Amino acid sequence: MKLNGDCIIKIEETENRFEASEEQVSDTERVNMRSNKKREIIERCVEKIFLINACVAIFCVIAITFYIFYKGLDPFYTSQSENSYSIIKFLTGIRWNPAGHEFGIFHMIIGSILSTAGAIIIGVPIGLLTAVFIAEIAPKPIKKIVTPAVELLAGIPSVLYGMFGLGVIVPIIRQISPLQAGQSMLAAVSVLMIMILPTVVAISENAIKSVPHSYKEGAYALGASKIQTIFKVIIPAAKSGIIAGIVLGIGRAIGETMAVMMVAGNVVGGLPDSLWSPVRPLTVNIAIDMMYAPKGLHKNLLFSTGVVLFVFILIINLVLNRITSKAGEKQ
Amino acid sequence: MSRKMKDKIVYGIIGLAALFTVGILLYIIGFIVSNGWKMIDWNFLTRQWDTETRYVQLPVLNEGTDGFNKLGFKIGKTIYQKDTDKVETTCITDIRNKKIKATLMTENRKTYELVPTDRKYTIKKGFYIKKIDGVYVHELPLEEVEQVINAIETDKVTLTVVRPGGGIVDTLTTTLVIIGLTLIIASPIGILSAIYLTEYAKKGVFVRIIRFATESLSGIPSIIYGLFGFIFFVELLKFKTSILSGSLTLTIILLPIIIRQTEESLKTVPQSYREGSFGLGATKLQTIRKIILPSAIPGIIVAVILSIGRIIGESAALLFTAGTTAHLFTGFLNSGATMTVNAYMITREMNNLEGACAFGIIILVVILMLNILSKLISKKLRKQ
Repeated sequence: MKLNGDCIIKIEETENRFEASEEQVSDTERVNMRSNKKREIIERCVEKIFLINACVAIFCVIAITFYIFYKGLDPFYTSQSENSYSIIKFLTGIRWNPAGHEFGIFHMIIGSILSTAGAIIIGVPIGLLTAVFIAEIAPKPIKKIVTPAVELLAGIPSVLYGMFGLGVIVPIIRQISPLQAGQSMLAAVSVLMIMILPTVVAISENAIKSVPHSYKEGAYALGASKIQTIFKVIIPAAKSGIIAGIVLGIGRAIGETMAVMMVAGNVVGGLPDSLWSPVRPLTVNIAIDMMYAPKGLHKNLLFSTGVVLFVFILIINLVLNRITSKAGEKQ
Repeated sequence: MSRKMKDKIVYGIIGLAALFTVGILLYIIGFIVSNGWKMIDWNFLTRQWDTETRYVQLPVLNEGTDGFNKLGFKIGKTIYQKDTDKVETTCITDIRNKKIKATLMTENRKTYELVPTDRKYTIKKGFYIKKIDGVYVHELPLEEVEQVINAIETDKVTLTVVRPGGGIVDTLTTTLVIIGLTLIIASPIGILSAIYLTEYAKKGVFVRIIRFATESLSGIPSIIYGLFGFIFFVELLKFKTSILSGSLTLTIILLPIIIRQTEESLKTVPQSYREGSFGLGATKLQTIRKIILPSAIPGIIVAVILSIGRIIGESAALLFTAGTTAHLFTGFLNSGATMTVNAYMITREMNNLEGACAFGIIILVVILMLNILSKLISKKLRKQ
C-alpha cells in the first residue's frame, strides 16, 4: 500500500510538472501562431510566383502563334487594296518578285519538302546504323570516341555547317553538275543530311537501348545471329522511338535556315526539276527578305511564309505527340 | 550466300555508317581550322571587326624630340589586306605619351569643310594615317611622309586616321553581353517553372498544358522566333533592333532547355530528402531552398552551360532582332552582331570564308570546352 501511495504522489507531481510545461507551450505557441500565419502567407505568395513563371512558357506559345498568324494572315483579308494579296496566288504562284508585285511561294514549299525529304532519305539510314553501332556493336573504347563525336556534331552552330557546305560541298558539286553551279538542292540536301544526323542518332540510340534485354536473349536462344537479332528483333521493337527521331529530324531540317541559305542558291522562281537546280526553301525566303523588305505587303507576306512554315511544324509536332503518347501507352 | 558472309557485309556497312558520322565531324573541324588558323594572330584577338576612318585635329609641337616627330609619334610602314591585294600603308608605330587625345572633326554638310566638334578621339599605336592636311600619305614612301610632317607650319593639323579592323573584340563582347543578359532573364524563369512543375503542381490538365507548351517551344525553328521577336520586341515594345530584343528572343528559345534540364536534376533528388525535411518540421519553401536546390545545383549548371552553347550558336533568331553589323557594346538598346552572325555576314556579304573560319575556330573552341565542362559536371553528378 505504501508503495502505491508513493506512486500516486509521484504521478501527481509529474502531472503538476506537465501542467506547468503546458502553460509554457501555449505561450510559445501563440508566438508560433503568428509566425506560422506569416509563413503561410509567404509560402502561398512564393507558390504563386513559381506558378507565374511556369505560365511564361504558355504565354510565349500563345503569343508566338497569335502574332505570326495575325500578321501573316493580314494580307489575305485586309480591306486596303495596296496591302492585300490573293491567298491562292500566294500559295500556287511559282515566282517571288517583290519589285514586280509577284509573291508566289509554291516553289519554296516544294523546295523545302524536297530538300527535307532528300536529307531524311540519306541521313536516316546512316544515323540509324550509327546508333546501332554505338548501342550494340562498338567495343567500349570506340564507343568513347563515337558518342562524344555525335554530341559535338549536335553542338556545332548551323552557320559553321553552312561554311563547310560553301567551302567543301558546293565546289565539288560545281565540278560534277551539268549546270556548272554548285549552289543547288543537292548541296542543301547534303548539308541538311549531316545536320539531322545527331538528332537521329541520339534518339534512335536511346530507343534501341531501352529495348528489354530479354528480347535479345530470346532471339539468341532461338539461334539468331547478332545481326539478325538487331534487324529482326531490336529495331522493330524500338520502332516508335526511331520514328520519333526521324520526325524530330524532319522538324530540324525543315526549320533550318542559315546553313541552307548559304548553299541552296536561293532562286526567285521556278520549280526545281532536278537535284542540280537551285532552290529557295521557305525559311531562306524569310531570312533574306526580312533584312531589306519595307513595311507593308512585302513584309507581311514574309510573315505569311512564316505561317506556312508554322503549319508544317505544327503537323510535325502533332505527329510526334501521337507517336510518343502511343509509345507511352505501350509501356 | 552463307549467313556468316551476309552478317559480315552488314557489319561492314554499319561500321562505315559510324565512320561516316565521325569522319564528317573531323572533316568539318579540319576544314574550319585549316582555313581559319592563318587569320588568328594578335591583331585578330585585339582589334574590332569594323575599320573606322575618322578626321581628327591635333596640336603641332614646335619640334620633335627623342626621335618622335612634330606631332608626337613615330611612323612606319605596315602591310594590310585591301580586298584581294596586299597594300603598304603608313602607320603610327609609337606614341610618346602612349596615346593622343585629338579633337574629332565632322564635315559641314553645306560647305564640305571640316569643323572641329567637342568630342575627343583617342589615337593609339597601330592606327593608319591616310591624309595629313589633305595630302594623301597613305602609300607615300616614309621619307616623303616625314617631309610632309616637317613642312607643317600651322599650330594645328588635320589628320585622317584609320583604326584597322578585322578582329574579334567587338563581336566577342556583344556575344558575352547577350549571354549574360539572356541568362539573367531566362534562368530564373526556367528554374522557377521547373520547381513549380516538380514540387508544387499536381498531375492534371494544367501541368499537361505547360508540358505541351515547352515541348512546342522546343520544336519551333529559330527563324520563327526571329519573326516573333521582330514583331513583339522590336516593333510592339519598341526596343528597336537591339541587344535587349535579341536577348529576350533568345530567352524564349532557352526556356524549354532550362526547364527540362532543371526538372531532370530536381527529379534525381531522392524523395526521402523531402520527407526527412518535412518530418523535421520544415515548410515546403524551406525544403526547396535548403534541401532540394543545393542537391540540384550541378544539374542546373549543366542547363546553364547548354544554354550558353545554344546562344553562341544561334544566328537565325538574331538576324533581325539584334542586328547584323559589328559594333563595340555601348548599351542594351543598341544593335550588335554576335560572333556567329558576323561569321555569316562575312561569308555571305564579303565572300571572305577565311575570316569566317577564324571566327569558326573561336566558336568551336568555346563549344568544345562547354561540352567537356558539362560532361565533367554530369559525370560528377552520376557518381554521387
